[in-house]
Amino acid sequence: MITRKALPRRTFLRGMGTAVALPFLDAMAPAFASAAPGKPPVRMAFVYVPNGIDMRNWNPGYEGKLTELPRILKPLEPYKDDILLLGNLTHNTGRALLDGAGDHGRCCGSYMTGIQVKKSTTDIKAGVSMDQIVARQIGGQTRFPSLELGLEDARQSGDCDSGYSCAYTNNLAWRSETQPLPPILDPRALFEHLFGNGVVLSPEARVRQARYRRSILDFVTEDTHKLESGLGPTDKRKLEEYLGSIREVERQIEKAEKDNQQIDPHMEKPYGVPADFAEHFKLMTDMITIAFQADLTRVLTFLVTHEGTSRAYREIGISDGHHPLTHHRNQPDLMEKVAQINCYHLKQFAAWVEKLKATKEGDGSLLDNSMIVYGAGLSDGNRHLHEDLPTLIAGRGGNYIKTGRRVVYRKETPMCNLFLTMMDRMGVHMENFGDATGKLVGLDLA
Amino acid sequence: MALGQRLLLTLSLTTLLFAADAPTFEKTVQPVLNSTCSPCHNDQLASGGLNIAAFAKPGSIVESREGWERILEKLRAGEMPPKGIPRPPQLDAVIQYLQGEFDKADRNVKPDPGRVTARRLNRSEYSNTIRDLLAVDFHAEKSFPTDDLGNGFDNIGDILTVSPVLMEKYMAAAESIAARAIGADPLPKPIEVQYHAKDKRIRRVDASTIEASHRIDFDGEYLIRFGLPGERAADAKPVVMGFWMDGKLLQSMPVETKPSGLVYFNPYSEEQMRLVLPEGDHVFRAGFIDDPFVKGLTPKELYDNKKNKFFDSITFVGPYPSKVEKASRKKILICDPNSGAACVDKILSTLAHRAYRRPVTRAEVASVTKFVAMAKADGQSTEQGIQLAIQAMLVSPNFLFRIEHDPFPTDPAPNGQFKVHKISDVELASRLSYFLWSSMPDDELSGLAEAGKLRAPGVLDAQVKRLLADPRSSALADNFAGQWLELRNLDVVKPDPQKFPEWGPDLRDAMKAETRVFFDYVLRENRPLADFLDARYTFLNERLAKFYGIPDVKGADFRRVELSTDQRGGLLSQAGVLTVSSYPTRTSVVIRGKYILQNILGAPVPPPPADVPLLDEEAVGTSASLRQQMETHRNNAVCASCHSKMDVLGFGLENYDGIGKWRTMDGKFPVDASGTMPNGKTFSTPAEMRAALTDRLPDFARCMVEKMLTYSLGRGLGPNDRRTVEEITRNWAASGYPFQSLLYQVVGSLPFQSRRGELTGNGNAGGLAAGPTTKEVAPR
Repeated sequence: MITRKALPRRTFLRGMGTAVALPFLDAMAPAFASAAPGKPPVRMAFVYVPNGIDMRNWNPGYEGKLTELPRILKPLEPYKDDILLLGNLTHNTGRALLDGAGDHGRCCGSYMTGIQVKKSTTDIKAGVSMDQIVARQIGGQTRFPSLELGLEDARQSGDCDSGYSCAYTNNLAWRSETQPLPPILDPRALFEHLFGNGVVLSPEARVRQARYRRSILDFVTEDTHKLESGLGPTDKRKLEEYLGSIREVERQIEKAEKDNQQIDPHMEKPYGVPADFAEHFKLMTDMITIAFQADLTRVLTFLVTHEGTSRAYREIGISDGHHPLTHHRNQPDLMEKVAQINCYHLKQFAAWVEKLKATKEGDGSLLDNSMIVYGAGLSDGNRHLHEDLPTLIAGRGGNYIKTGRRVVYRKETPMCNLFLTMMDRMGVHMENFGDATGKLVGLDLA
Repeated sequence: MALGQRLLLTLSLTTLLFAADAPTFEKTVQPVLNSTCSPCHNDQLASGGLNIAAFAKPGSIVESREGWERILEKLRAGEMPPKGIPRPPQLDAVIQYLQGEFDKADRNVKPDPGRVTARRLNRSEYSNTIRDLLAVDFHAEKSFPTDDLGNGFDNIGDILTVSPVLMEKYMAAAESIAARAIGADPLPKPIEVQYHAKDKRIRRVDASTIEASHRIDFDGEYLIRFGLPGERAADAKPVVMGFWMDGKLLQSMPVETKPSGLVYFNPYSEEQMRLVLPEGDHVFRAGFIDDPFVKGLTPKELYDNKKNKFFDSITFVGPYPSKVEKASRKKILICDPNSGAACVDKILSTLAHRAYRRPVTRAEVASVTKFVAMAKADGQSTEQGIQLAIQAMLVSPNFLFRIEHDPFPTDPAPNGQFKVHKISDVELASRLSYFLWSSMPDDELSGLAEAGKLRAPGVLDAQVKRLLADPRSSALADNFAGQWLELRNLDVVKPDPQKFPEWGPDLRDAMKAETRVFFDYVLRENRPLADFLDARYTFLNERLAKFYGIPDVKGADFRRVELSTDQRGGLLSQAGVLTVSSYPTRTSVVIRGKYILQNILGAPVPPPPADVPLLDEEAVGTSASLRQQMETHRNNAVCASCHSKMDVLGFGLENYDGIGKWRTMDGKFPVDASGTMPNGKTFSTPAEMRAALTDRLPDFARCMVEKMLTYSLGRGLGPNDRRTVEEITRNWAASGYPFQSLLYQVVGSLPFQSRRGELTGNGNAGGLAAGPTTKEVAPR
């Protein structure tokens, strides 16, 4: 386990491909201020795939204990005891509700926020996403309050969906109702973000660099306050957002200083974005695994490809765009291609689950202490349906979730109920979130 | 009759006559509504969801302005009345009357320039500003996350935000740029990095050229070695080799190719160059220029080292300290900083003044100077202190944001009685340079602004002229045209290699260049707008000319080519435009039609319903041509309302395949590029369609005005901008639409020159239409 002060610097995770047992020593306990002594913290992650999923090949025909899994979920069968399938979760705020077309913009904009986003290309308005609510409260205990990842670059020009800003389909996490948190796409950028630039500085140089950075941020904060005083509300809000980001960076610098060590992940810095999808996925998730292990963060959203994407998957022999394929009008050959894409995505996810399971932590694995949600903002991509959203949770959230089964809730059960429950587990007790009607019961029934 | 009475009679008769002729709603519009419109657009039938009864009253022109605008649009385009209904002769009078009423209504409203929200520099503005401020070559597109788009552009104030991740990047970039600018940090020891054809990191572009992507970590001098195995025949002539970085030729030199006379098992030679290279990720190429020798070789012989000499590796050794003083140091260190505090003050106050794009106060200079003291207290040099001060300035909001001040930031008066004020000369200078250069003002422009002379008669126009003539105005081609025409998507599209084997990075780059150079030419030469729709010339290099089937174009650089056939001409025949409006495996008449409606005619259509069935892809070109399959659009009345005007434009481009190559067959079927425009005009070739589009030049012009205003202001347009759009479009029409005239007018317009405070109580940040607009756009 990579830690800050409790263990000598060179006790590191060895290699990326091997699953080495690193016992969770009590000596590491002081590093986790909030967790109960000796207990690893709970991690929460959301992996989101766009354009819906082929539900015929996702929903098993049964409830209760998981036995054989349907086609798309097959790669997770070896880990069926560690996953929980949920049925009938719905995001009503993704529906049109008199706003006309734009299901992609809506379903992605509402997925983590539980809000019906404003239909505009320039005047964007969503809500604070649930991961950010959690990040705000517990994020102070880790270097990064949250991480946002993605694999696909935003569209370079044109529009996104029927009058909805591209901001809705390119981002999952929202810091405020007008400020999305763009995902990091480049493995090199993620590496540098998590582990530093790779320039090895002497301890004195590092201390000095941090001191300079903090002075600069103080100076900038002062400048911003001076500027703000003569401005109208909208301009002020822009500068407030700027100040918020400054404060966040300041906090990270302070945290890094307290650590007093540069984390060496023992992997070569990636050169850039791999051309191969699977390789890209693996690189990013490998780094997240280390980030979780080193408790650099406990909150993650991962927008695999952006909602409404027309990405082709030549890696598996599909040259047509994903989005056009999902409007198949029940033609079997097109539905087959969609199923293949869904399988391909899940296969990469399953590889990550395998890795998390193989990473020992405490008297279990990193997977045991996490709640990794894999899901989509639409169920039927052809008809743009927002009910029975395909959702699974991998991991027990620290002995909280009873996995290994499928639970089907009442029709139209809000997805926000799940979110409320998960926030609770992360230590954030909210009365309400989005259109939740209460917490989800039955996640933890013995 | 007395004279007085006669006069009165004449007068009143004249008035009566004029009154009788003057169009009124009742006389001009209503009869047409009743006879032509209401048979379909009535209470029971309500074709297209329109019941004209709602528009039967004169007051509706103001009350239901949006609706009337849509009606006018359709009347002007000839879409209404539809085919089969006779066009009433008074229709022109109706159109004129409506336009006149709109103008009257707009004139009666207090002109509202709107306001643009404080906006941060986007990626290209950041890179350009760093270049102009510090002479450092920094590429924000490679380091910063993509900027979000609004209204099709990435410089919209309300959309641009600063996330914590971006803030971190700004901090890191400031550190790196400041260090590079001063160049005071010691260089590390030189290292060697080799790219060899036998590993996958080198790409063979063609028989004579190799390419490698390499990251230069430090500005400095580098020794670059080229490995050249092989030798040619004894009578072979020397060839000139070139070395390019990011498409620009850095150096060329002659290379011997005949046998050296020495005995080798495997003939091999090396060449080398010493060059100063800037930090960053770059794409390097090494190749022979104009090498006819390879044309006589078989593919196997190309890499046979007994038959040919060719490149197989590039090695970078460095960095070495450069003997040439950095341009950035010369720019920043205007005096010797070691000479004392007075010089340091001069350096920093000049820098702050330029970095903040306005005069700075003593207090501001002092707050920046304290970083020098901080660094020196740590035992660093004065130069390193200046470096730290630069680092601080580069993350100040004064640098990163373009902020304009209002004397009344929150307008106290409600109900539209806002106060309009002209932006300051200094703020105007910034707007002007970021509009035309996507970069900061230069010394001449800011000098004029600070002296209060920018708005003196003739001065502003002279500055526009000067800025346009400057090479930096190519930013308009890169940023305005690149986004207007969606060309940036060329970096993202992935045409299917089976269907389009010719597609590759070179062809793609050539396509980008053609449209960029073409736009730049129309701009610089002040060509008429109509050239965009159809021109008898374009710009090609050898690669693209070959692709178009145009002979006698040799060499990699782009030059003007006169078009002898009408296969090509104007933007809609350029491969870049045709590629971004296609699917990876085939053309799409719908996407191309929508592209034209949205980007050329300014008449976007609403999105389709969710259940739309997909095309039978396999059948396209085999059992049915694309066109035949598309006919279903027009057979279904609901679909036809939009598709009749959208598909037809796409059909007119069917002679260009999914990457813009000319074709006469679509699989097994001959291409049928014929169609009928909604106003009845027919065409049967792309050239004829272009001619039909040229009839709609006024609509194109209006579309350009709207887009250019959006881009120049950094905000979307709203009802308050109608008047400006009308005025500019009208004035532009009067002169025949010379392109530059648009830019001059935009600069002189009310919203560009003025702003108002924020109206309190409705939270509307100027110019934004609240809620869904009537002009929704379809998803891809």
